Amino acid sequence: MEDYFSYTAQLFNPDEAHSKPEALKGIRVLDFSHVIFGPIAARLLADYGAEVIKLELPFYGDLWRPATYWGKYWKHSNPIWHNITKNKYFISVNLQLKESKELIYKMAEKADVVIENFAPGTADAWNIGYEKISKINPNIIFLSCSTYGQFGPMRYFPGWDLLAQGASGVLTLNGYPDTDIYYKLPDYVGDFVPGNFASLAVLMALYHRKKTGKGQYIDMAQTEGLMRMLYHYTYFSLTKEAIGRTGNTDPTMMPASIFKTADDKFLALACATAQQFENFTQAIGMPELASDPRFSETLERLKPDNAQALTKIAKDWIQSKSCTDILKLAGEKGFPAAEVADDYMIANEEWRRKRGSVVLFNDDVYGKLLIAGPSAQLSKTPSRTKWLARPLGYHNRLVLKKFLDLCEADIQDLERKKVIGTFDDRPGLKPPVYYNLNEDPIYNYGKEVKK
Amino acid sequence: MSPKEAIYTRHGGKGGDRGKMLAEIMNAEGKPEVLDDILVLDVSSANFAGIVCASLLAEFGAEVIKIEPSGGDPARQITPFGVTVQGVGIPFMFEGRNKRYMTLDVKNSAEDRKTFARLAAKAAVVIESFLPGEMDAWGIGYRQLSAANPGLVYVALSAYGQYTDKARESARIPDTDVTSQAGSGLPAQMGAPPEDPEPLNWPLRGGMWAGWYISGLSAAFGATIALLHRQNTGEGQMVDVAGMDAYSSMVGMPATIGFTWEKARPRIGVLDFILYPYGHWKCKDGFVAIAAPRDHDFRALLKILGLWEQEDDWRYSSDRIPDILEQALHLHKIIEEKTILYTADELVKMALNYSRKSARSKWRGGGVPIVMKLMTPEEAMSNKQWEVRKAFQEVEDEKLGKFIISANFVKMSESPPRVKWVSSEVGRDNDFVRKKYLSD
Repeated sequence: MEDYFSYTAQLFNPDEAHSKPEALKGIRVLDFSHVIFGPIAARLLADYGAEVIKLELPFYGDLWRPATYWGKYWKHSNPIWHNITKNKYFISVNLQLKESKELIYKMAEKADVVIENFAPGTADAWNIGYEKISKINPNIIFLSCSTYGQFGPMRYFPGWDLLAQGASGVLTLNGYPDTDIYYKLPDYVGDFVPGNFASLAVLMALYHRKKTGKGQYIDMAQTEGLMRMLYHYTYFSLTKEAIGRTGNTDPTMMPASIFKTADDKFLALACATAQQFENFTQAIGMPELASDPRFSETLERLKPDNAQALTKIAKDWIQSKSCTDILKLAGEKGFPAAEVADDYMIANEEWRRKRGSVVLFNDDVYGKLLIAGPSAQLSKTPSRTKWLARPLGYHNRLVLKKFLDLCEADIQDLERKKVIGTFDDRPGLKPPVYYNLNEDPIYNYGKEVKK
Repeated sequence: MSPKEAIYTRHGGKGGDRGKMLAEIMNAEGKPEVLDDILVLDVSSANFAGIVCASLLAEFGAEVIKIEPSGGDPARQITPFGVTVQGVGIPFMFEGRNKRYMTLDVKNSAEDRKTFARLAAKAAVVIESFLPGEMDAWGIGYRQLSAANPGLVYVALSAYGQYTDKARESARIPDTDVTSQAGSGLPAQMGAPPEDPEPLNWPLRGGMWAGWYISGLSAAFGATIALLHRQNTGEGQMVDVAGMDAYSSMVGMPATIGFTWEKARPRIGVLDFILYPYGHWKCKDGFVAIAAPRDHDFRALLKILGLWEQEDDWRYSSDRIPDILEQALHLHKIIEEKTILYTADELVKMALNYSRKSARSKWRGGGVPIVMKLMTPEEAMSNKQWEVRKAFQEVEDEKLGKFIISANFVKMSESPPRVKWVSSEVGRDNDFVRKKYLSD
């Protein structure tokens, strides 16, 4: 029989990903959403082949377009925005005008999914909510994303990832006990995780529609998405006690913490099972610990006094070894350990590129950018990147001509009436200065392009 | 619409009826279940990413059979401070949703592997978290099972994935939450700045299972994509989820910033890289979270707190970001000196009043500073919002009694997820499974 890893290398070969089928081919999504929570739900669908048309306001665009870390732009674009909105069609339509609504309704006739994350009630007030769209297209799957949900007394409260972390309790779990400092989870994970939940719900709705022909309305509250991840509520309902902050130590397995090695690196080490613990005791040359009455039973090991004693033993051992040595032992003996990876390591570790965990993508407009690969690798219908984010209104012509059968004269008329528009001079909205849009066949779709 | 409901509604909507109507159509009772034709075998071991993936599919209606040896999945003993109810850990109880329990020891018994293969021939999804290559060596990996059942979706969870040389070298390193968090870049971004004392300035783990839940959610997402492909073509496939990808692939920032900055970001404590104010502050009776990052939100906040004389120094978001950490911390203190004078409720009210007037006035620039009381998970449970939305559910395990879980994480009008029962007894459904799937 062929060796397992040679077999899987064939099965998942990243070089072949682009020629494999797309699971969501033929699904069309209208994406009214902005910032991160809604856009990420739409992007996940685009990664698997859905045609996602992102609508933005002319000359203003998505609020997140210019929002980059420490104000550092990359080729006049927001580098993290490329991760959030790749693979989409960017069209810029002025929602306030009657003609714009008509364009949207026409697109809605042929759409399968609509995604929005305005403050609840806003989409309906603007006549682009579920109420209106479901009349135009009764089988539509309509996803509304918000912080607290579309009904309930807090429904009109606007929110950000921070508020969802604050309202679910997630924020108060990060930090050290007996201090007055909490930390929020970084990088707007309170948007990304609920965005994945929302996209999962859309997939389920697509599955259901295929079976029954019926569309539906989906109400995703980001706070509820975060709450799904906390067993803390159950712990409280049974013990009447709070778990609270436990610093770097995970109280559910032992040892399990982040430590410092002899060469001043940070390393996470954990033992989730009796077997892993036994392997660990052998690695540290203290096999007697596995039969120590304080540690031999998993549940005994977790009791706070025993846990503290064991964490101290692990800490002392790790302090005396280099990070490389510990990782080597982990691989030989079989216990969980990993160096704390920072941005630079994640961007540069060779294996991540080979796996497709990070992808050095070569884009037609922007050139090479390193972006994150998918969270799950699929052997037959893998996620893929086709293009990065685009300037505001970049696909106006392509979308209107190809999908709505408008002609050049119609489009120029819409431009004159300011129904559609493009970018202004702000970074995040405009193309890189070196890039000549007049020569771009997609921006000028259906027009003669002079080279 | 009551005056209270009018708060924050610049655009009005059609009033209070919408909420009521939605609450009615989102009721799960009697609605069809999406995956009612799907059989899932969860043979994951000591890995909550696998368990969470199985739970999510079960909540959408799949028949999920949890397969474990007669001693039980070691995951049953992964629990805070060793607290259990009759030997069952809290997280295992929390995730014991709509599942069947069957005892099979696929690791040690050739006979049980055969039984497992017979079940897998009828299954749509298999979820496993053994070391990469183990299931294959036992003759029940994707390669063998898919030969008998080409429509099978096979979800494998591990630390480093199922392919590449790195995966081969690291095949014996199991996946846990804290190693997944660390290896995928979360702790590197959390914790006090470098100048602070040790160990406060160390990388800090997320205080919940950020690694395992992200992997579990990603696995369920990948499996559902595969199920859609299967629905269209009849073809199954393999889904490979690596704990070392969890955080970095979910948020994307580490790879892109590591590449464009050519260095790692430092830790900046309680601040945010892009937005300010965007965090939490001490107040008279605890903490408040404040988000007022847009320039007009920020100005509104200054007015509310009586800090307008500061406006000139911090006018643009580029003045407020922590690329000069000292400067940002200075502003943080200025705000804290004011928030400490009020209670959380007072601050919330001040922000609401301002926002309501601001929404109606063309002179106030539409600033919407958002203030809320910071809540612990325990406090969140008594929030009226979640009572109305049935976000928490009291459930009863026939052996372990009553407890509360967070459920109904998304509302859907036609085919919503739901928790029908919870259970956890080892081998509880042996007879049921044998009769239903193994009697031929």
